[in-house]
Amino acid sequence: MANPRGRLWVTVWLVFVLAVLAWVVARQTSAHLTARRLEELRTEWSVYEAQRSALIARIREAESRAVLMPQAESLGLREPADSEIVILQAPAPRRR
Amino acid sequence: MARPFLRLQLVQVVFIVGFLGLLGRAAQVQLFQGAKHAAAAAAERTERVELPARRGSIFDRKGAALALTQEVFHVGVAPNELDSLAADSRILSQELGVPLRTVQQRLQARWAYFAGPYNSLVVQPLRGMRGVHLDGEQVRFHPHSDLARSLLGHPAAEGRPASGIERVMDTLLAGVPGTAVVLRDRRGNLYQSPARLNAFPVPGHDVYLTLDGDLQEIIEQALTDALEQYEAEGGDMVVLDPVSGEILAIASGGEGGSNALTGVFEPGSTAKLFAAAALLTHRLVGSTDSVWTEEGEYDLDGRIIHDDHPEGWLDLSGVFQHSSNIGMVKLALRLSADLQYEMLRDFGLGTPTGVEYPSESSGTLKPPSQWSGTTAASVAMGYEVAVTALQLAQAYAAIANDGVMMQPTLIREVRSPEGVVVRRHTPQPVRRVVSPAVASELRSLLRGVVYPGGTGETAALTSYEVAGKTGTVRRAGPGGYIRGSYTASFVSMFPADDPQLVMVVKLDDPQGNYARLSAAPVTRRVLEQVLATQLGPLDRARLTTSQVTAEPQVVAEHGTATWLSPFPVVQAVDSGGLEVVPDVTGLTLRGAARELHKLGFRVQAIGWGVVDSVAPAPGDSAAIGSVVTVTASERNPPR
Repeated sequence: MANPRGRLWVTVWLVFVLAVLAWVVARQTSAHLTARRLEELRTEWSVYEAQRSALIARIREAESRAVLMPQAESLGLREPADSEIVILQAPAPRRR
Repeated sequence: MARPFLRLQLVQVVFIVGFLGLLGRAAQVQLFQGAKHAAAAAAERTERVELPARRGSIFDRKGAALALTQEVFHVGVAPNELDSLAADSRILSQELGVPLRTVQQRLQARWAYFAGPYNSLVVQPLRGMRGVHLDGEQVRFHPHSDLARSLLGHPAAEGRPASGIERVMDTLLAGVPGTAVVLRDRRGNLYQSPARLNAFPVPGHDVYLTLDGDLQEIIEQALTDALEQYEAEGGDMVVLDPVSGEILAIASGGEGGSNALTGVFEPGSTAKLFAAAALLTHRLVGSTDSVWTEEGEYDLDGRIIHDDHPEGWLDLSGVFQHSSNIGMVKLALRLSADLQYEMLRDFGLGTPTGVEYPSESSGTLKPPSQWSGTTAASVAMGYEVAVTALQLAQAYAAIANDGVMMQPTLIREVRSPEGVVVRRHTPQPVRRVVSPAVASELRSLLRGVVYPGGTGETAALTSYEVAGKTGTVRRAGPGGYIRGSYTASFVSMFPADDPQLVMVVKLDDPQGNYARLSAAPVTRRVLEQVLATQLGPLDRARLTTSQVTAEPQVVAEHGTATWLSPFPVVQAVDSGGLEVVPDVTGLTLRGAARELHKLGFRVQAIGWGVVDSVAPAPGDSAAIGSVVTVTASERNPPR
């Protein structure tokens, strides 16, 4: 007659080992999914960075004097002479 | 019966020995050679990779990006791995912008390579395509392609050393690369494994320069225009804040490859300021002292010195206004060589400024022991010394800053990747060069240069006074000075009172030669644009006290200005036409100024709010270009 306590211990250990193995597999799977997601996010970030750079370049060009001045002149505007610039100095706010 | 038992025992022994052998071998493999086999297995399945750190960005003083880091890709294609050669060829052609025919030709080889580089946006549709392999790298990207490029330089690359700001600040910009071990499959594809990330990459610090992007654009364009207009070989421009020492803009162009920090030139008449500083500091010239300038030609121990504008008796201010070499040489003879040399040293000649830039030139200044009999006279006229444009700007900035020379800088701030400021520039005085009283006298001398008849009159503005000094010097070549070839320069302070900007304009061999006809007008054009632009470095509140007015009585009555200049306003009046002064009472100051400007008047604004009165009175006639004073009150402040 086999010892029932022995069987119980073997079963407990078997379950324990299976649980540990399952836990390891789950962690590995999760890690790989996270790594994949991380890579996707990194790619996404890279795309946004490229978009940002392209937009910055476009904004810089659009607001550059080389682009604005000819457009302003075509609208009949011109750069004012220094005598046409009046600097208005607002008074300091009064204390209440 | 004994035999079967024996055989059974024999089998048992064999099994036991076999098992023990297996166990021993397992122990040997696992316990003693385990590490070696584990490494071999890992090498089969993993690869150690370096994770590049993002290089820090470079910004101007207002936070506009000048240099960013961008990830770009080169595209490799294995044609035999493609799902559909025809369809994938079209996609590659469309996304990479390469003609379909070219793509098809390249795909006939075993491996096709499209160098690009292509940014993430372009290669995004190609990700996941079988047979397409992306090879990424980080490169520098300049949103404003040409702005301050020579100053920014570039990071080190294969076979090419770093240069410019990228080189000086490399240790801060570079960051620290990380490392990771990634999994590799049989095909060689890599898979990230977060459990094996050894070290995160640490991005580099961001660097904020003192440059103002708008001002930089103005002077770069002005220099380009000047080089074209005057057919000059090259040129440099520097704009400095005299109080903080911050370099607000710096540009170089033309032939030679040097720039305002590395290229040297003889300063010519702009160096007369240094001899004058020594004369005034040691009280070797008085306000009533005059010298005979020989009507333009002077024989100094066999060396003939010429003045371009022959004059007679001139005091020190006259010598400056007409840039008389003879007058300055005669006055400088009152100085010993040591006194002259010490003053030049104090102004920083012959010494690098210490600005954050590689290979800055120190210029040339020989010690008195190496001077010949005519060196003192030459130095007083700005010959036999050589300076960079920045050295000249720094020296003049000391005069603008009441005699205190400041350390010039290009770096305003350094921020960590988290945005924390780890270094902020604080103004660093180098030394006091002259007393405040002498500095004030020198500024008065420079102011006279821009008055009518002065060599710098073409730099004058209408509403604000500019102080400055022209310099036209013959250019030196391998065989001595080149006939008919000059370097023209103009150093200015704006405004003349309480200067906020010090600017150097230097042109190499401009057609028209003289600084009066080349460098000085460029200065004026730049200052007009600076005034018309919302620039950060220009303190407009301080500028209002520097505005010149043609109505001294009115201004004195209101006590808003204590100093008046007779010159520039008079010239601005166009005596050819009259216009009726409109009634602008009841309008806001802005609206009134707009109406008056339309008719060609200049506007002097007093007070704040709604316009109460106008002088000359509405309905009166006034010369076009003359000043109309509008007085406003706060009773009904504008919304």
